[in-house]
Formats: sequence, structure tokens, C-alpha cells
Amino acid sequence: MGLGAVVVLTVERETGVYAGKDGQQKPLVVQPLGCVDVMGRPMVERTIDHLRDAGVGKVTLLTSKDIVRNCPSIANRLDQVKVKFVDDPGSAVNEVLNRYAEEGIEHAFVLAENVYAETDLLDFVYFHREAKKGITRAFDHEGPLDLWVVDCDRYSRFDLEKMGASDGDAASYFIAGYVRRLLHPGDLRAIIADSLGGVCAMRPSGQEVRPGIWVDEGAEIDRRARIVAPAYIGCNSKVREDALVTRCSSVERDCCIDFGTIVEDSSILANTRVGIWLDVRHAVASGNKLVSLKHDVLLEIADPNVMRFNSMLAKEEGKDRSESRERVVQPVVSKIKPETAPETWQLGANLIQG
Amino acid sequence: MNPSYPVVVMEVPGSLNNLEGQAFFQELQPLLETDRPRIVLDCSQLQHVDSAGIEILLHCIEEAMKRDGDVKLAAVLPAPVAILELMRVDRLFEIFDTVEEATRSFHAVAQPETPQTLPWYSADYRFGEAKAS
Repeated sequence: MGLGAVVVLTVERETGVYAGKDGQQKPLVVQPLGCVDVMGRPMVERTIDHLRDAGVGKVTLLTSKDIVRNCPSIANRLDQVKVKFVDDPGSAVNEVLNRYAEEGIEHAFVLAENVYAETDLLDFVYFHREAKKGITRAFDHEGPLDLWVVDCDRYSRFDLEKMGASDGDAASYFIAGYVRRLLHPGDLRAIIADSLGGVCAMRPSGQEVRPGIWVDEGAEIDRRARIVAPAYIGCNSKVREDALVTRCSSVERDCCIDFGTIVEDSSILANTRVGIWLDVRHAVASGNKLVSLKHDVLLEIADPNVMRFNSMLAKEEGKDRSESRERVVQPVVSKIKPETAPETWQLGANLIQG
Repeated sequence: MNPSYPVVVMEVPGSLNNLEGQAFFQELQPLLETDRPRIVLDCSQLQHVDSAGIEILLHCIEEAMKRDGDVKLAAVLPAPVAILELMRVDRLFEIFDTVEEATRSFHAVAQPETPQTLPWYSADYRFGEAKAS
């Protein structure tokens, strides 16, 4: 039984768009939330790994050039995935399914990047075969999910939009496990809190340096900073003195939490610098934008001393960036080395002599 | 605070940045220089506030407190509240949902925190209870 998968990652399905109470449409991030780093890795990468683990041989990612331009890390990481740039994902899915059929692949998963589901995918395929329908759609207790299994040869006219409206001839597969739709920055917070709290199987990248505290490579945590478990500090991020990161908070890669700032029940997305003596609570921050989940509002901070993209600092400092790069490469974990025996005293070799 | 002092309600402009904040403060300054100023800032129009605006609000409350007065905020929209919280300034101000509530709060007479007790030399005074309390 050959298995394939088509992951749809399009601008139309952009989930980073945030709609406030007054109907404002402002994006927190320019890329879909599935492409945003969540505890070290984007969700789409985790989804593809999940498919690989289930024995899916061929994975095709349908996306647009704009998305890849906005998140180059995706293209670099998905080296074993065929990336196809499309304008109309609906027709492109059919093309891929036809090609799979020609290659002898019987069944394929078709899924959107905004769904994270922890389920036995093989069981899903077996259910689909038993149901003897051309297509089977996954459901959870909240309703239909953008996750299907299709027969590549029998269901060559897959309509992505129509499937959302009516599933007359489709079988339904109920997922009882952990499911999260990534439609709002609040969903991002929820999945991070669930992961750090052990509610779902997703684990942060990096090492668990203390119970519940995950630190990725190159992260620098000042001795006077406090990290309260569960929490995640990403690659090359800095937590300065007197800062506090607590209550299921995550600080993604290349961030800086400056002196005395509190990050509580919040997620700081990659490449964000949070200024000194601030309270970031119940929020998701990216660059100079912050979504307050408590007040359901998106703030755009004009003052770069308060919040900004970390790269802005690098441009301003110029030379300092290269120096700091050279300086900060060792992971925190490796810094905690076991004490070795002191070298033997040699007369004349030591700088301090009586 | 004596409830006979008048409460002044002042509307904050839609944007409180360095330029508009200075103009707003100049308008407010004579009121802040009165004896025990009691000011309610109606923030229902306030959409944008930056760090310069926050500084002006802090300057207002500083001036009011110097003269044993207070500045209270009313009808603050979610975005400015989130900014105040981010900058850790929200706890310095009393924030009310409406201007009426904020005005009323100035007139509320505080109840005595500790109940009146009998003097120690009174015949009905019981030492054990006094110690326990």
C-alpha cells in the first residue's frame, strides 16, 4: 500500500491574520501560523514528520513564492519534501493526486497546514479502506477538519473549497485524540501551553535542563534571570538579568528579553526584542506587534525601545553583531561543565607570583 | 479627602503622543495646580498612546499627588489598557468603566477600617478578646 501526502500552504489559508473586536484585519505575522516557529520548529514541519513516521513515502507541499520568501527557514528545513509553487491550490491538488496515481500510490492524505492532529494516521487509512468511499474526512468534537484521505486513482477531482461546504459522498473519521486548529494567535498560545503542560505529545526542541525548562542551543540566560517551569527558551535567545519567564511561556529563537521584563503566559515569536521593565502577560508578541489575548486587541508599538525586531538592533549596531555572533555560540547546557582538577602549579607559568 | 472639592472631568484626545500630549498637559496644568485636584480623564476617545503619552499621564498623577489630589481614568479602550499593562503603569491609576463611576468614587466616604472598641479602662472591656483580636 503506497501512501502519499499533499500539504496545502497557501495565502488564502493564511492564519496569521488577526481579527479584533472592531473588525480590524491586521496580521501579527506575515506568514501563516503553520510556518511560525513553535518551540523551535514550525508546525508544518512537525506535521510532515508525523506523516513520515506513519510511513508516508511522498510528501508534496503546495505553497506560493510569497510564503516561502517570508519564511525562508521552511524551504531550508523541508529538504525531503517536494515543494510546488501554485496559484490555485484546488487544481494543483488534483494534479498531484493524478501523478501519485500514475506512480502507483493508492492513498494520499490531503491536509492544510493549520491543523495539528495527534492521531494514528494508519488507522485513519485503514478506516478509509473499510469505508469504501473515494474520500474520508477527519472530524473532531468541534466539527470537520481540513484533513482527508483520498484514493488517488478514484478521486482525481478533489475540490478543496467544495469539501469544506458539503461532504455528501465522503466518509467521516472521528479523531478522539488531541486536535488544534491554528486560526488565531490564541491557538498558538494554547498549543504551546498544552505542549509544555504535557497535554499533547508535541515536545519542544532543545534540552530539558531542569524539569519543565527547555533551553535550545546558544540560548543565554543570565544568572539573575528567573525561568519558572514550564517554559521554553529558543536558539540564540537572551534572557537578561532580573527578567522573569513564567507560566508556560515560550521565547523563540533570536529573541531578547531585556532587563527586568516579565513574560507571563505569553509567547515571544522569533526575532523579537522586548525592552526593559515591561509586563508581557497573556499575549503573543512578534517584532513590534503584540496581541493581548486578555483584551483581544493587537498593538503596534512604534517605540523601538519598547519592542522591535531583533534584526533592527543588528543593523544599528553593525560591527557589534558580528562580534556578538562570535561570542555567543555555545549552548547553555555545554557551559555547565563538570569541574576538572586544576592544572599543576608551575613556577613562572602563572601570572600571579609572590 | 474632603468630598466638597469639585471633580473635574477632562477628555483625553484620540492620540497621546509627544506633541499632542504636551498640548494636553498644558491644558490640564492649571487644574493640576489647584488645591487637592480631583481629575477624571475621560479616555473614551483615546486610541493611541505611546511612551511619551504614558510619561505625561505619570506627570499628571505626580502633580496631583503632590497637592493631595488624584487623577483617575475612565472609559479606557482595550488597546490603551493593554499598553498601560505592558508598561506596568495600570496599577498606578484607578481605572473605571465609566466617567460617572470615576466621579462617584471621589465622593465615596471611606468606612473606618477598624471597628470602634471600648477603652481599656472601661468596665465592659475584656482583655482576652482584645489580645485575640
